[in-house]
Amino acid sequence: MTVSQLSVPTRPRTWPRVAVVVGVIVAITVLTTLPALGGVNIDLGAIARNWGNGSERIGKLFPPDPSILPRTWKPLLETLEMALVGTAIAALLALPLSQWAARPTNPSRSRIVVRGVLNVIRAVPDLVYATILVAMVGVGALPGVITLVLFDLGIVVKLVSEAIDSADASYMEAGRAAGGTQTQINRVTAQPQTWPVFASQVLYSLELNVRISSILGLVGAGGLGRLIDEVRGFYRYGALSMIIIEILVVVIAIEIASNVLRKRLR
Amino acid sequence: MDTTAHGPEAATPASGPWPIRLTDVTVRYPNGVVGLRGVSLAIEAGEMVSVVGLSGSGKSTLVRTVNGLVPVTSGTVQVGPYRVDQLRGRRLRHVRGSIGMIFQGFNLADRASVYHNVLVGRFSHTPTWKTLLGLTSREDREMVMSALDSVGMLEKVWGRAGALSGGQKQRVAIARALSQEPQVMLADEPVASLDPPTAHAVMSDLRRVNTERDLTVLVNLHLMDLARQYTTRMIGLRDGELVYDGPASSATDADFEAIYGRPIQTRDTLGQ
Repeated sequence: MTVSQLSVPTRPRTWPRVAVVVGVIVAITVLTTLPALGGVNIDLGAIARNWGNGSERIGKLFPPDPSILPRTWKPLLETLEMALVGTAIAALLALPLSQWAARPTNPSRSRIVVRGVLNVIRAVPDLVYATILVAMVGVGALPGVITLVLFDLGIVVKLVSEAIDSADASYMEAGRAAGGTQTQINRVTAQPQTWPVFASQVLYSLELNVRISSILGLVGAGGLGRLIDEVRGFYRYGALSMIIIEILVVVIAIEIASNVLRKRLR
Repeated sequence: MDTTAHGPEAATPASGPWPIRLTDVTVRYPNGVVGLRGVSLAIEAGEMVSVVGLSGSGKSTLVRTVNGLVPVTSGTVQVGPYRVDQLRGRRLRHVRGSIGMIFQGFNLADRASVYHNVLVGRFSHTPTWKTLLGLTSREDREMVMSALDSVGMLEKVWGRAGALSGGQKQRVAIARALSQEPQVMLADEPVASLDPPTAHAVMSDLRRVNTERDLTVLVNLHLMDLARQYTTRMIGLRDGELVYDGPASSATDADFEAIYGRPIQTRDTLGQ
C-alpha cells in the first residue's frame, strides 16, 4: 500500500505557534539589550581589548609544575575527608527531612515549615556560608564540613522529596487502613521505596562536594583551596595548573565510581 | 449492642466476627461530589456480602466508611463495639487494626520485601518507636510467616513485592490483612486487575477466610457471576443509593439490570 492510498488526516497548521515563539524570542532580545530599557550592558569590544592580559596568563599555566605535588597530598586528603564527612552527615539528616518535606509522607502542615527552612538554606551561596562560618568557628576543615552539609541538605532534600511527591503512593492507603501511624508507614514502606533515588542523590552530592571543597579553602575553610590561593599569590601558574589537573583526575575518578554504583542501584 | 456503643473503653475487643451497621449514611466529598445518599444497612457477624454496582456508584466509598478512610458527612457507622464515625486519631487506628482491607491495585510497596509489606498488618499492635528502630517481636514475625503460609506465599517472603505476578501480589495483600488478626475483612474490587483463573482463586481465598477464620467479609464487585457464586448476600448501589439488598445466589438478571440501570452486557460477567 502506498502513502497516496491512505486517507492521512490533514496536518494541523503550525505557523501560528511558530510565529508566537519567534515573537517572544525577539521581544526578550530587544528588552534585554536596549540600554534605555535597562538591558544588561555587555561590551563585546572588551574581549578584544583585554584578550592579551588573559592569554598571557593562560600561557603561563604551561607547562604544569610537578614539583608542587608532594605538598598537595595532605590538603587533597583533607579535601576528600571534608567531602566524605559532609556527605555522610548530610545523608543522615536528609533521610527524615526529605520525608517531612514531601506530601505523601507528611500530610500535615509542618511540611510547609520544613520546605520554607530548606528554601532559605538553599538560597544562601556556599562561599557565604564558608566565610561566615570561618569567622564563627575558626579557620580549618570544620567550617568547610558544615558548609558542605548545608549545601548538600538543600539539594538532596529538595530532589528526594520531589521524587516522593511524584511517585505512586498507593501503599500509604494500605498502611492507614491497617491502623498504622504515618511514621510507621514511612519507616517500613516509604523508606525502601525511595531508597534508590535517595542513594543516587547522595552520590551526586558527594561528586559536587569534592569540587566545592577544593575551592572553599579560598576563604579559609580548609582543603586544597588554601594551597590554590597561596600559589596564585606567588604567581606560580605552573603549580596552579598542576593542582587543577589533580582535582580534575580526582573528580573524574569519583564520578566514574559513583556512576558504577548508581547503575547497580537500579 | 447499645451499651457498648459509646467508645472503646466500654468494649472488650472480643474475638470472633463483628457486625456492621450503617444508619442513614451520607458522604459528600469536599469537591461537592456525593458518594453515598442516606444508606442504611445491617450486616450480621460472619456474613459474606458483596456490594455490586457500576463504577462511580459509591461502592468504594461504602467500604471506606467502614474503616473510616472516608469520613461520613452524616449518619452513623457501627462496626462491632465501635462507632467508627465518632473516632479519630489513636482510637481510629486501634479499630482499623481489627479491620483488614485489600484493594484493586494491591497497594503494596513494590521495592520493599514481601516480609515488610505483610509487617504493615502488625502496625496497630506495635508502638511507633519500635517500628522506627526496626524492632520486631517474635510473635509479630511468626504471625507474618503464618499469614503468608496460609495464602501459599511463604517461599517468597524475602523477595521484592514488585517482582510478583498480579495474583501473587493480591495474595500477599490478603496475608497483610490476615496478619492483623482482624474481625472484619473489606475488599475493594479485589479481582478487577486479575485474569479470570486468578480472579476465581482470589475469590476462593476470600471465601475460605470467611468460613475458616470466621470473619465478616464485605467485598466490592462489578461482575454479577462472581457475586452470585461467592457471596451469600448482595447489596446493590446506584448513584450512591441502596437499590438492592437480598440473597446473592438467587438474584435474577432483572435485579442486576435494576442495579446497573441498563440492560445486561457480556462484560458484566467474568466467565470461568
